[in-house]
Amino acid sequence: MSMSDMNRADTTFKYSGTVGMQHEEPLLFEHAHEAPESINLPGVDGEISAELSAFSRKQAANIPGLSEPETVRHFVRLSQWNHGIETGFYPLGSCTMKYNPRVNEQVVRLPGLAHIHPDQPEDTAQGVLELMYELQDWLGEVSGLPHVTLQPAAGAHGELAGLMMIKAALDARGQSQRRKVLVPDSAHGTNPASAALCGMHTVELKSGADGRIDLDELKAHLDDETAALMMTNPNTAGAFESDIKEICQLVHDAGGLVYGDGANLNALVGVARPGDMGIDCLHINVHKTFSTPHGGGGPGGGPVAVNDTLAPYLPVPRIEKHGDTLTLVNACDTSVGPVLGTPGQIGVYIRANAYISAFGRQHLHKIAEDAVLNANYVLHRLKDRYHVPFEGLCKHECLLTDEIQNKHGVKTLDIAKRLIDLGFHPMTVYFPLIVHGAMLIEPTETESRETLDAFCDAMLEIADACEAGDTEALHEAPLKPFRRRLDETQAARKPVLVWPE
Amino acid sequence: MRFLPHTDTDRTAMLETIGVSNMAELFSDIPGEFHIEKGSLEIADALSEAGIVRKFTKASEKNRNATNSRYFLGGGTYHHFVPAVVDYIISRGEFLTAYTPYQPEISQGTLQALFEFQTMIARLTGMDVSNASMYEAATATAEAALMARRVTRKSRVVMAGSVNPRYRSVTANYLSRLDGEYAEVDMGRHGTDLDKVIAAIDEKTACVIVQYPDFYGSVYDLAPLRAACDAARCLMVVAFSDISAFALIESPGAMGADIAVGSGQSLGIPMGFGGPHLGLFTCKQKYLRQMPGRVCGLTSDADGKRGFVLTLSTREQHIRREKATSNICSNQGLMCTAAATYMTQMGDAGLGTVARHSAAALHSLVSQLPGHVTAAHGAHYNETVLSFADQQARDRFLKAAQESDIFAGIPLEQIETAADGRHLLVATTEMVEEADINDYLAILEVAK
Repeated sequence: MSMSDMNRADTTFKYSGTVGMQHEEPLLFEHAHEAPESINLPGVDGEISAELSAFSRKQAANIPGLSEPETVRHFVRLSQWNHGIETGFYPLGSCTMKYNPRVNEQVVRLPGLAHIHPDQPEDTAQGVLELMYELQDWLGEVSGLPHVTLQPAAGAHGELAGLMMIKAALDARGQSQRRKVLVPDSAHGTNPASAALCGMHTVELKSGADGRIDLDELKAHLDDETAALMMTNPNTAGAFESDIKEICQLVHDAGGLVYGDGANLNALVGVARPGDMGIDCLHINVHKTFSTPHGGGGPGGGPVAVNDTLAPYLPVPRIEKHGDTLTLVNACDTSVGPVLGTPGQIGVYIRANAYISAFGRQHLHKIAEDAVLNANYVLHRLKDRYHVPFEGLCKHECLLTDEIQNKHGVKTLDIAKRLIDLGFHPMTVYFPLIVHGAMLIEPTETESRETLDAFCDAMLEIADACEAGDTEALHEAPLKPFRRRLDETQAARKPVLVWPE
Repeated sequence: MRFLPHTDTDRTAMLETIGVSNMAELFSDIPGEFHIEKGSLEIADALSEAGIVRKFTKASEKNRNATNSRYFLGGGTYHHFVPAVVDYIISRGEFLTAYTPYQPEISQGTLQALFEFQTMIARLTGMDVSNASMYEAATATAEAALMARRVTRKSRVVMAGSVNPRYRSVTANYLSRLDGEYAEVDMGRHGTDLDKVIAAIDEKTACVIVQYPDFYGSVYDLAPLRAACDAARCLMVVAFSDISAFALIESPGAMGADIAVGSGQSLGIPMGFGGPHLGLFTCKQKYLRQMPGRVCGLTSDADGKRGFVLTLSTREQHIRREKATSNICSNQGLMCTAAATYMTQMGDAGLGTVARHSAAALHSLVSQLPGHVTAAHGAHYNETVLSFADQQARDRFLKAAQESDIFAGIPLEQIETAADGRHLLVATTEMVEEADINDYLAILEVAK
């Protein structure tokens, strides 16, 4: 399709861009009028220096500029094309899409938390530092790893920071030949990518027949070049690695350390602690477990909790308490250094603190309990109609495949897209990579039984349609949204990433 | 617990469906020795919603903030005006509570906003393409160095000493575990000496990283560096702290940057004690396939209608794993929507006013300085270094200013640890009024 074809408006929408309640909305660059009078702005309406004038921009940037009502309508209309957790069920496995409490949005916007500068004097920012210090403490308590950095901006960034600490600890032991990181084949792609960025190389461990780490495979790869095992527990098949104690022991005996990918902490929070099991270092995705909004891709937060072995190497700045005063400590000889240019994703952490505050000591374990209950409930309602690659209990998510539907020519992608027509966001598809046609379903603790039943009914309807040979709607899906399957090959072959002027 | 929909009746019925008799059985695959007693964690008691509001209000009231004080603080974080519309749009649940748009049919809102964001960022920076965000400026700078190494297949990185020390230290840290040399060029003054930077380039150099306007706010011509980079076949990477500058002064693209990275916090994002901010990453089209992070691209759907998808994912960790261009996954998505909304409401004219007022406030301040305080020479946008006779004089002034609700600047050594204690890094935005400047100047008398 050429650019001019793409420009052609769909004539069904020729007057207002709306038919019924379905909107079309042009790119803001296509709102064809001169920019209206600019927003009124405060400040010094004076001269700029002659020296600076010499560098004046010669060509305008050509940022369109809409009036306030048009700006609001443009973006509100765009928003209505999105599915969010507030819109409906969002069972993305490994993503922990749970309700984001509105009060958290309210408190993070308090002027004394929103409009403060990271370099204002510390005695004028004790309130925010207290909230951060408290969160560090609580994350240490939840993970069983008492020393916490809030520096990493996301899970992958936490992985990098954690591996930096592991490397520093090994170097301090005179073991700088240890550069091998063992990563199960079920791991998130960030694990090997983070290891590479840390100057290490990864060796993939083949999962056992039950989807878990195979102890013999692990033993075969442990040697004096092994720096760490990076593991996710529960793993990305939703199964708890019940050999966790032995796994950690084996790695430690071989002189390595165990990195925990905390993406799946929702299954354990308040129930069991990775630190107690032998994990040395764990990043915590607060945008998963502690309900900070995903925002269409971020911002997240990836604090890292470590045990005493790794504590000396925590990044700076660190938030420490000296007497009654909280302070950002920037200098520390053993530290792996800074991994971010600011104190961290503070607004994200304020929300995480609020989420934990709402549950408190009394209720925190109910997060894991209801999450695990929901996943097992979905698994049991679907297990006779969808292939379950690994038998047994699941934790906070359950893994199915398209093996049965495949016999009718239907694959995971079709099932996912059909779910959209039936009113649900699809589950995670084609991950983990250890099974063919994976469908990873994570129904978090904030979903009702009514929602879970509706979702399972939809999945069963799809299974029925496959068995009845009524698969056309599945291949064509989605038919309901205002855009149907999008051509990803075309997008990648000749990338258009900006609108031409 | 108000966020949990199940009643005990629900739970019992669901356990029955599963075929277990109690909740504990669901956790029987976790060895018993690791089960912790319910309620045993050292975490505060549960709070009601009212209790949460009270707790956070109390904490917020301990912080001085830009609604009750005058801020002359910069160094990478700036107090620009945030229109109400921006916060409203990013508060909408459809943007706020969506995941990464991996299912494009039901994520066109986020995707189109990202495409608009990428377009406007490319135009403002004068670059060909933008990605859909990095965490913040320091990590974006580090990623630029890594990308330049991939593009050139050379490994040495030259960093000007006038780049924000925090961007420098994060970049140095990222590079320190990889092969290749990292060279910082000491400027010897509060500004950029391009001759020194150019002299540091050699045949192994993959890129030169400069900041424009630099950490000290100084604006300078990058043409000599462009020529030197061409001669040495290395990339010119331009970092920036306050993107609002490019509505007024020549963009990094016009100055010839191959990669331009920096902070988009000035585009409608509150200071928030340092985050979440917005890392920007832009480059020339020809280097696109070595760019880190997610990008949104134009395509069409099965009916031929225009639509958007995340694209070029073969660069990314979930496909390429250890060979990915970066390990980044979660980025600052919502902040892109904030910035897109902000730029749309501002337009060229509004952005121009922000920049002009920011620069005019600095010019007003600097041109009225008393004799006992000096400012760095040359062109500055909205940030500069003020120097006092000694640390006592500076600190007397800082204290007096704070008593008058003015945060007068960042002690330079707080960010640049080697600096002596008589300098202040001072920034202005359109939120600074003439009256604030008059108060500032009046208080400077105590530094005599």
